[in-house]
Amino acid sequence: MKDHRENIFRIIITIGAMLSSVLVLLVFFYILKESIPFFKEAKFSDYILGDSWSPLSSKQSYSFLPMILATLYISFLAIIIATPLSVGCSLLLSFNAHKKHTRIILSFIDMIAGIPSVIFGFLGLVILVKFLEKNLNMVTGESVLAGGILLSVMLFPYIVTGCTETFIKGKKIYYAASQSLGVSKWYTMRKIMLPFAANSIFVNMLLAFGRAIGETMAVMMVAGNSPIFPKLLGRAETIPSLIALEMGTATYKSIHYSSLYGAGLILIIIILIIQLLAYMLNKTGMRRF
Amino acid sequence: MKKFSFISIILVLMLILAVGCTAEQPAPQEPGNNEEQAETPDVSEAKNEFKPQILFNGSSTLAPVMASISTNFIEGFVTWDKVDASFPEENIAIYVSAGGSGQGVKSVIDKTSDFGMVARTVKDSEKEQLPELKEFTVGIDALTIGVNPNNPVLSAKDDLTKDEIVKIFSGEYKTWKDLDSSLPDKEIIVVTRDIGGGAHEVFQSKIMGDVDVKADAIQAPSMGALVTKIIENEYAIGYASFGVVNQNAGKVSTIKVDGVEATKENIINGSYIIQRPLIAIINGELTAPQQAFMDYVMSAEGMEVIESMGFVPVK
Repeated sequence: MKDHRENIFRIIITIGAMLSSVLVLLVFFYILKESIPFFKEAKFSDYILGDSWSPLSSKQSYSFLPMILATLYISFLAIIIATPLSVGCSLLLSFNAHKKHTRIILSFIDMIAGIPSVIFGFLGLVILVKFLEKNLNMVTGESVLAGGILLSVMLFPYIVTGCTETFIKGKKIYYAASQSLGVSKWYTMRKIMLPFAANSIFVNMLLAFGRAIGETMAVMMVAGNSPIFPKLLGRAETIPSLIALEMGTATYKSIHYSSLYGAGLILIIIILIIQLLAYMLNKTGMRRF
Repeated sequence: MKKFSFISIILVLMLILAVGCTAEQPAPQEPGNNEEQAETPDVSEAKNEFKPQILFNGSSTLAPVMASISTNFIEGFVTWDKVDASFPEENIAIYVSAGGSGQGVKSVIDKTSDFGMVARTVKDSEKEQLPELKEFTVGIDALTIGVNPNNPVLSAKDDLTKDEIVKIFSGEYKTWKDLDSSLPDKEIIVVTRDIGGGAHEVFQSKIMGDVDVKADAIQAPSMGALVTKIIENEYAIGYASFGVVNQNAGKVSTIKVDGVEATKENIINGSYIIQRPLIAIINGELTAPQQAFMDYVMSAEGMEVIESMGFVPVK
């Protein structure tokens, strides 16, 4: 009887697992299918190396390059800002804070991840963009910088949670030893914990990077969405914003419509590469310890 | 046992893949639309049966209007038999979702909604895919040239020629000083809707012609966001919807185009050129409940809602 019930349960969860993996494949193949007309039509050199995106003008040109660069630029900036802050925060949480406080603070940080991105976008629009306008003497504050700063806040919880976990693990292994040798806490953090966690920090950065690339709403609201080459204080449009802005209005089955699926495909490929890299690094890192 | 479950997994996988290949899968279409599609029953089936739901999808300008009218309709009648005694006693359900004019047409073509909402004329290429197209023009919207009330341009000139507007939006005039030497040397912040959208298409054909809008213009994701940008930035200029400007009266100032002000009279008599129709489209015959709802939209009560939202009703 018990065996029977276990079997039913096992079948149910296997079907669930299968369904979710099939769904991923279906989404991927659907996007591939829809983007084929575009990739047949356009030349590789045009859509990767061209310099302008104007699908509806009299001189049509489809180039993803400004958008790809903008996506990478904004995400990269966000990671650069977020990593030192989050690594510092997790060091503090795992070494200097009381255990009870750590748990409370961590749950608050986790909550940041639960805030809808449109809320971040709205705050960014009314506070951050205004702030940049006032302090950097910009005529309008929508910029790569605004997108990067906003995204870094959103990435913060992802890096902190991952790193704290590693630091706590490392503390268990090395802390007693380093204390008995009479080494100061700060020395332990700098010379033992950081090298120990370097790999994990990098993997967390990569995962956060993947998350940053896909972020749509918040970036769309503060980056200005101009399909031009990104500059730190200039406007830019990321691939997710491009798709979100134009998909609703592109004529069904037109080349424009298909090109947006093409943009989606490129985005998926970038994210897949990053995930794969993170997976591989994580594996080698695990083997070391 | 292990072998058995492994085989069953393979079988399930193959089955699902087979289904995925044979049937045109409408499932993974666009992110963000899943919710709406999940509750969308197959429209093509059950033509003869009574369908208590009506689905609208399309233009983000028209969607709030339709949502408001349908709310009044649902609250006023509750069940269909109150609308017409011959209908069964079923709850009225009208779903309105926004996604842009193009998507409105698309959803009618691939039958994920009954009505499409379009804030521009229906293109010929789209008409080919809709053999039994019926259009209901419910109102008119105009695009006004809107600026911040503190913009110094208002004291210098309250009227722009079509040529000047083209030069501003194409980037030929980079700063306000280029437009008029008495104005400050500040960059002109051009705000547009997404370039594929209904609003931009109207602006492109009525004003810009073959000239492209400059690439570093800010693209706002909605008309509300566009107007917010104008309200917040002194040096911004954009084509704001007549309706949304009226909803924000006092916070946005409009500029005359070729000497014609965007007023209700000028829009109706056609002398204000940047205007567009607000249309509900359907492919095929209307069912009785759909007809009843469209009659309500076109009635005085429906038109009142359209006017109260700042648009120009057709009647």
